Amino acid sequence: MMKYSGSREAFTAALLDIAEKDDRAMLVSADSLKAMRATKFAEQYPDRYVECGISEQDAVLVASGLASCGLVPFVGTYGGFITMRACEQMRTYCAYPNMNVKLIGINGGLLGGEREGVTHQFIEDLGIVRTIPNITVLTPADQYQVYGAVKAAMEIDGPVYVRCASGREPVVYDESVPFTFGKIRVLKNYGDDVAIFAAGYLMNRAVQAAEDLKAQGISATLVDVSTLKPIDEQGVAEVLARCKRAVTVEDHNVIGGLGSAIAETAAKLCPTPMAFIGVQDRFAESGAADALLDAYGMSANAIVKAAKELCSR
Amino acid sequence: MENARTERLQKIANQMRLEVVRMVHNAGDGHPGPCMSAMDILTCLYFDQMNIRPEDPKWPDRDRFILSKGHACPALYTALAYKGYFSKAEFDGLRSLGSILQGHPTLQKTPGLDMTSGSLGNGLGIATGMAIAGKYCKQDYYTYVIMGDGELQEGSVWEAAMCAKKNSLDHLIAFIDHNNWQSGGSVTECSGLLPVREKWEAFGWFTQEIDGHNIDEILGAIEAAKAQKGQPAAIVARTVKGKGLDYMEDDNSWHKRVPDDAQLERAIELLGGDQK
Repeated sequence: MMKYSGSREAFTAALLDIAEKDDRAMLVSADSLKAMRATKFAEQYPDRYVECGISEQDAVLVASGLASCGLVPFVGTYGGFITMRACEQMRTYCAYPNMNVKLIGINGGLLGGEREGVTHQFIEDLGIVRTIPNITVLTPADQYQVYGAVKAAMEIDGPVYVRCASGREPVVYDESVPFTFGKIRVLKNYGDDVAIFAAGYLMNRAVQAAEDLKAQGISATLVDVSTLKPIDEQGVAEVLARCKRAVTVEDHNVIGGLGSAIAETAAKLCPTPMAFIGVQDRFAESGAADALLDAYGMSANAIVKAAKELCSR
Repeated sequence: MENARTERLQKIANQMRLEVVRMVHNAGDGHPGPCMSAMDILTCLYFDQMNIRPEDPKWPDRDRFILSKGHACPALYTALAYKGYFSKAEFDGLRSLGSILQGHPTLQKTPGLDMTSGSLGNGLGIATGMAIAGKYCKQDYYTYVIMGDGELQEGSVWEAAMCAKKNSLDHLIAFIDHNNWQSGGSVTECSGLLPVREKWEAFGWFTQEIDGHNIDEILGAIEAAKAQKGQPAAIVARTVKGKGLDYMEDDNSWHKRVPDDAQLERAIELLGGDQK
């Protein structure tokens, strides 16, 4: 296996491993080969690398055509360009005919876009894909989980969106922990005072918050929601029933993503008071990754504060 | 011999025109005008050129077809039923709940379709993917697309045009049904679309311009496109919206309109009698 560092290299490592065993796997690029850190794939499999140039609509359409012929194309580029520039192509020609297309969106969230500014920071992608029928949505938490998520995507017969970042995401998992499709994973089980549901590359902040809360006498259960759709309703409901309060943590607009998915599940199965950590429905700006997350309300302290407020109600 | 081939195809095209008038009349909804301009091309593809097996719709080596101007689907549905993919009895269900004949072509509902279509400007990109797949899998099939001229206003068409050129997709053949009309009016009222042929030439495609209602010219253009190597092929077909029906020809009110009983009768009269 190729050694990798960061979620983009993890994607390429997984794709290389998939391609070695399965000659249906293709890479479709919208001048995103370098951004995806996928040059090695193009060198190794030149006839399985389709370069569409700076044209995301075409990249997604080409992928639909490839998939209709039995191939398994992975379209890799910036998450917002897939889900917004090529939104209709993704919806009507991948999701509606249930094409076996894998959409790998990098620069998810402020962490992913950081110094590039709002044009390259995507806080809407999960909300968009979640409203489209047939698309499975995976939100791995670090590079090792991305490796597993990409392999899991290959096993799913149908369109899958995998949210990647930019390589600045901290490692929270041991390399040996597999990605588990369709199930939540309890990462910290300190107690039942509050549940923290987190998804994606600020998982380290959620871990920090759970530890800080413990030090302050509040026992949290921290849950990694790495399959955002279909969400593990039963698993979520069990945690909600046990903890009776929930904080959601995501590097995404608080509308449409993890917070909404948990709230929908809660409303259906186990109504629970909640707090929503994420981007508060506004645009951010350029900045260093960690400073940006802090400035836009996603610090460990902000999670702690929200949990304490919930617990004091 | 050549005449017999031409006459046979002309007869099928006219039968299918009548079928479309009846289908839209009976369903009470649909786009008859855009069907008529594309009908002769569609007939040449399905009844002369395409290598397909209606008894095995997913045969991997089959030629592919995408009706990018998906609103002309009554014409395509007629061709598919005539080829035997499904019964003509389905025609009465056009656009109604539970029907296999959706308002626009839908891959998983209608046997014989190779892709969903209907939102304009997307067929060529998908066809490009199909043609790349054929190359990669070392298959010899052709991928055909019919686009409207109006939909060339979509930028995604030109994204695909550049992609197909770069990949030298000589098994990709795209027709432009150049009837000069679109939903809102003439193509020149709506955009700076013209000239069409020169655009495809400039994008590096093997480009021909023909009379899109002349069977021999259509067949000749397809054969010339197949004979050349290294370029995707564009066939700009000058057509008449509503072709074949005197009350419909070049009248854009027939973009989406339902023929009444008298107009159905007139169609029967014009198109060689009721072939039901």
